[in-house]
Amino acid sequence: MISSAYAAAEGHAQSSGLPQFESSVFASQMFWTVVSFFVLMYLLNRYVIPAINDILDSRSKKIGEDIQQAEKSRVEAERVLANYRDQVERARQLTATTLDEARIEAAAIREQALAELNEELNKKKASAVEEIERTRIQAMEQVREAAVELAMLATEKLIAKTVTKPKAESMVKEALEHMEKNRIGMH
Amino acid sequence: MLLTATAISAEAAQAAAAAAPRMDPLHHFQVIKYVEIAPLGLDISVSNSVLWMWISVAAVFAFFRYAMREPALVPGRLQSIAEAGYLFIRGIVDENIGHGGKPYFPMIFSLFFFVLFCNWTGLIPASFTATSQLIVTATLALGIFFLSIFLGFYKHGVKFLGFFVPSGLPVLLLPLMVPIEIISFLARPVSLSVRLFANMTAGHTVLGVLFFFSATLPWVGSWLPFGFSVVFTAVEIFIGFIQAYIFTILTCVYINDSLHLHH
Repeated sequence: MISSAYAAAEGHAQSSGLPQFESSVFASQMFWTVVSFFVLMYLLNRYVIPAINDILDSRSKKIGEDIQQAEKSRVEAERVLANYRDQVERARQLTATTLDEARIEAAAIREQALAELNEELNKKKASAVEEIERTRIQAMEQVREAAVELAMLATEKLIAKTVTKPKAESMVKEALEHMEKNRIGMH
Repeated sequence: MLLTATAISAEAAQAAAAAAPRMDPLHHFQVIKYVEIAPLGLDISVSNSVLWMWISVAAVFAFFRYAMREPALVPGRLQSIAEAGYLFIRGIVDENIGHGGKPYFPMIFSLFFFVLFCNWTGLIPASFTATSQLIVTATLALGIFFLSIFLGFYKHGVKFLGFFVPSGLPVLLLPLMVPIEIISFLARPVSLSVRLFANMTAGHTVLGVLFFFSATLPWVGSWLPFGFSVVFTAVEIFIGFIQAYIFTILTCVYINDSLHLHH
């Protein structure tokens, strides 16, 4: 009985060491570690790593393409903008030249119109002056004749004897000259 | 009479000891063979460790396969996570191997996720942590070790031995330095495997102790270890990641040393 208890104790002591050092299970674990590892490596290398590789590659390719595309779009946009600015600049220049031309033309037209107007006015003035002169002369003539007749009539009535026409005329002329002198003197 | 009494009392004590809950935080590291297979004397039995290795492999593959089922230019949540994992490992490879590191990417990628998922699936209650088995981490570490030796000689021939002679050292110091370099080189697989195994074992042992106390203590006392076990599970998730990361980085460093012989 004691011996059996002793044996049990001994058995217990034996099993209380680290189970990791029990060499009876070494061979199978070594074998399966190697097999498991290589199976895993095969599976990952065959199915997983290429898939991740592919997706990472295609993603970086996509990003690269997108960046390139964006760069291209930027260049295109810049080109369009430059083109547009150019057009605007040209339109502005065109407007400016047109405006200048129009201004010059307008000035010329105005100048011409003014000249024409002046000419016409001068012409009108000249004819008016002429007319006035003529009318004045006419009027003077009429006044003179009227005066002569009036003088003749007056003289006839006054002295009841007709004065000869040349005599009367010289008298009127005298009177008129006198009157003219007076008029000039009044001026 | 006396003899029988002591025998009875011993037997009773043994029975009592058997009936009482016995703390054994190392119990869950016990490898249990489910199916014994040994063709031609080669033991390839399926155990709980092997099963959870398979589950981890399946989980990694299923996750990535599902996440990348319909790869889109604008990724969804899972695809983003899968791509982040991929880019994370690619960053490690680029940073630590750099030029000529591309052919090793699938291996490093698989290694990281194999270790990571073995670490993480071990946190599922009633599961098994394959990376808490020294032989599992040692198998991986030795594979990396021999790969780095093979790569060194494959790329540089005998000149690879110059790896053990630090440049710019006085000749007088060489008899001292060369053995140190050789020892540190040979220590690589040991440190690589023991670091992972010890971290996993220690973390799960602490979790085992905490779970034992939170299950066996009366309710007034059990909430404390229970709360700790919750917090520590989160810490273990983090440690599982960190250890996989370290394992991967060191693998890259070792491969880099063999590829680019600057020392």
